[in-house]
Amino acid sequence: MNLEIFILAVVALPLLTSIFLKISGKLLNELLTNFITINAALLSVGLSSFMFGYIFLGKFKPLKFEFFEWYPSPQIVIEFYLDGLSGVMMVLISGLSLVIQLFSTSYMSKDEKYTKYFEYFNFFVFSMLLLVLSGNFLVMFFGWELVGLSSYLLISFWYEKKSAAKAGNKAFILNRIGDFGFLIGLMMILNHFQTFNFIAIFNSSLISQPKNLDLIILFLLLGAFGKSAQFPLFSWLPDAMEGPTPASALIHAATMVTAGVFMLVRISPMLQFSEIGSLVIIGFGLFTALIAAFAAINQEDIKKVLAYSTISQLGFMFIAIGAGAYVAAIFHLVTHAFFKALLFLGAGAVIHEMHHEQNIHKMGGLRKKMPITSAMMGIGTLAISGIPPLAGFWSKDEILASVFSKGGIYYGFWALSLLAAFMTAFYMGRHWLLIFIKEPKNNLDNVHEAPKNMTRPLIILGVFTIFIGFINTPFFHGLEKVLEETLHHVEVTHLPEGLTLAILAILSIGAGFTGLALAYLIYIFDIISYFKLRIPFSSEIKNLSKNVIYINDFGNAVFVKGLKSASRRIAVNIEGMTIDGLANGISNYFLKSSKRMSYAQTGLVRSYVVYFGLFTLILIFIFLISPGVPA
Amino acid sequence: MIEVTSDWYLTLSAILFSIGFLGMMFRKNALIMFMCIELMLNAVNLTFITASRHLGLIDGQIAVFFVLVVAAAEVVVGLAIIVSIFKKQESASVDMLSSSKG
Amino acid sequence: MTEILLFAIPALLIILGALIVVFAKNPVHNAMGLVLTLTSLAIVYITLNATFVAMVQMLVYAGAVMTLFLFVIMMIGVDKPDQSKESIKGQSLLISGTLIILVAIVLFVILENGLNWDLFFPESENIIDGTPSLIAGVMFTSWVLPFEIISILLIVATTAALALAYEFKKSDSND
Repeated sequence: MNLEIFILAVVALPLLTSIFLKISGKLLNELLTNFITINAALLSVGLSSFMFGYIFLGKFKPLKFEFFEWYPSPQIVIEFYLDGLSGVMMVLISGLSLVIQLFSTSYMSKDEKYTKYFEYFNFFVFSMLLLVLSGNFLVMFFGWELVGLSSYLLISFWYEKKSAAKAGNKAFILNRIGDFGFLIGLMMILNHFQTFNFIAIFNSSLISQPKNLDLIILFLLLGAFGKSAQFPLFSWLPDAMEGPTPASALIHAATMVTAGVFMLVRISPMLQFSEIGSLVIIGFGLFTALIAAFAAINQEDIKKVLAYSTISQLGFMFIAIGAGAYVAAIFHLVTHAFFKALLFLGAGAVIHEMHHEQNIHKMGGLRKKMPITSAMMGIGTLAISGIPPLAGFWSKDEILASVFSKGGIYYGFWALSLLAAFMTAFYMGRHWLLIFIKEPKNNLDNVHEAPKNMTRPLIILGVFTIFIGFINTPFFHGLEKVLEETLHHVEVTHLPEGLTLAILAILSIGAGFTGLALAYLIYIFDIISYFKLRIPFSSEIKNLSKNVIYINDFGNAVFVKGLKSASRRIAVNIEGMTIDGLANGISNYFLKSSKRMSYAQTGLVRSYVVYFGLFTLILIFIFLISPGVPA
Repeated sequence: MIEVTSDWYLTLSAILFSIGFLGMMFRKNALIMFMCIELMLNAVNLTFITASRHLGLIDGQIAVFFVLVVAAAEVVVGLAIIVSIFKKQESASVDMLSSSKG
Repeated sequence: MTEILLFAIPALLIILGALIVVFAKNPVHNAMGLVLTLTSLAIVYITLNATFVAMVQMLVYAGAVMTLFLFVIMMIGVDKPDQSKESIKGQSLLISGTLIILVAIVLFVILENGLNWDLFFPESENIIDGTPSLIAGVMFTSWVLPFEIISILLIVATTAALALAYEFKKSDSND
């Protein structure tokens, strides 16, 4: 039986759901919408698990499906490609989208645009699946742009709020910068390889001796930096938290922002030949991880802490890719998707129960009010801090160890990554402690545990967060086997052996525990005032952290203001003088000339008759004297 | 022996048409301009009937009927217009009517 | 000889009538000139074997249409004669220009081809007789659609004339 067609079904199902919700949106109440969207999501999970099982049985031999040929030469085909990598992503996306939709049914209830939310949500799932299942760069680009669009729609979902509309614009525009690079990369790929097809490109002999491979990689990287919120294009992600929290969980934490990571792993056969590309990736990844972790320490908004944490974790994935540890990158992607979705949904539950209060300083002591939520978020916090045996430990440790094993300058990178891991544990500890443990300042009597539709998804994700790490441990290389076929051209950095690995693991666990302990000491035990400690430049550091070392302001000053004044000058000089002048001049000219022409309309019948006769006769005369006419 | 051929009739038709057109250019009275139009229409009818005989086809004469009807309709409407113009300005001169002046 | 006379006398009358139409000062004279032209044309039609058309010409044109003309002349009275002075600027110049071109064309054709009209179609051997039955047979078969359309035109024209002539109360009060 030809099972390739099911790939199409996996992609099309969310799209059809979205279209159906769009068409019948006005007729559906919340219950019907739930029924449709949840069942579609269940079917989607079933289908993608089935397909994953199928390729699992086929030892992850890739499946190809050509939908139709768009253009014969150079051959442009709408095609899909399912291998271990896209299989993992497919299952991850459809599974998480099911859980998060379950959560959304409760979180979004009584919203005016309830159906619209699920419409956009399903549309996002469709675009993301299109992206990961694409068989060539062009289809990937379609998915890439569509996730940008649906992300924009969901960020500015409550567009009545000015800040939400602005955040949507910011995300879209910053993503456009990245997409611009991606598009140029695509053109160069077509020019260089004469095809978009992944397999054809990776098997091409041109790949190892390219004139401008570095340039292609750098342009594609720009796209990845934009989508995955890496320095310098990261400032849209914290603002994107204006969207509904479940959407943030799926899009801005678990799936869409990892598209850049996915894309880089997909092009790893090209990437491995570009020394500069790898260095740029690891450099920017490391810088982003540190900056974002630093910024997260002093954020006050419950979601913004998580947003910076996401940026920081994405930085970790880029570090892994730069170090050639592609499996570790995907592994961290998967575990991060689970624990970050868990943290976001937990934050969503807290926000929901706090009646849309998002400042963590106004919370505190919620552990007793919301035991399930606090336990699950605790699991997420421990996982992201790298405490064994939770998910984050395995993946983060693998990244750190892989970086270490490359040696040379990578020892320095390893040390900085360890610092970032330590900071991660610190700010996540602060986050959880401030929300759930610290003595509350405000009266929180009317706060209760979240409804079951919210806590159940949290529990599901919590269970996954505990156990998902075991898919790829030093003792059991599960994910590595899944990705083996995808990466079989690629030289993957492997983990060090034996004692080194153990020491590295102990160091990273130590970093995690130290971070958490420090957070406890500072924010609960209040060590600073207890011992009357004086930290030099404490307020300066705090400001620096709060304002994300002023990158936003710098960008505003240089790009936004500069562009604004430049465009105003263009508007006045070029647009106003030249283009408007030209357009107005033409219209004035026609106005005047038609005025003059209208004087011929005397309104006198007899003069019309004369002109009519005169010119008819002239016509006859011309007709007579022209050659070839029998007179 | 001189034979009366179609040429003669066509020449007559052309002269009649020219006189009619001349009148259109000269006269200012709307009523007389209408008469001149009738002259021109009749010149055309003469051409049709000449052609009908020349080609041995009856369709030319059918066309004359249609011209006739159109002429009648035109006279009906035109004369009604002249009457209403006259009511307004006590004269049928078209030179005083220039409201469609550009 | 009779043939030529039968053509020449009506032809002269036609031109005479037409000239009266154009040049007479009194509208009643113009109308009478038109009657002369139309009746003479009917004679020409008969010489062209179009007997039924000639009949209709007499009835509709010389009868109905001319009655209408005279009726209107009666209604609006004999208008004061045209001012001989041309009121439109440049009109006389244009008229003379038009006439010059007309004469030029005629002269040009005569000089090129003489007085021979080399008609494109040769004269047909088939002699048709414009009897009512022949005309009706064609008109109500292959020409029936234009016939119906023209009948609609007539009705519309009648209605329009009614609307123009009818004095609406409201417009009266506005005046």
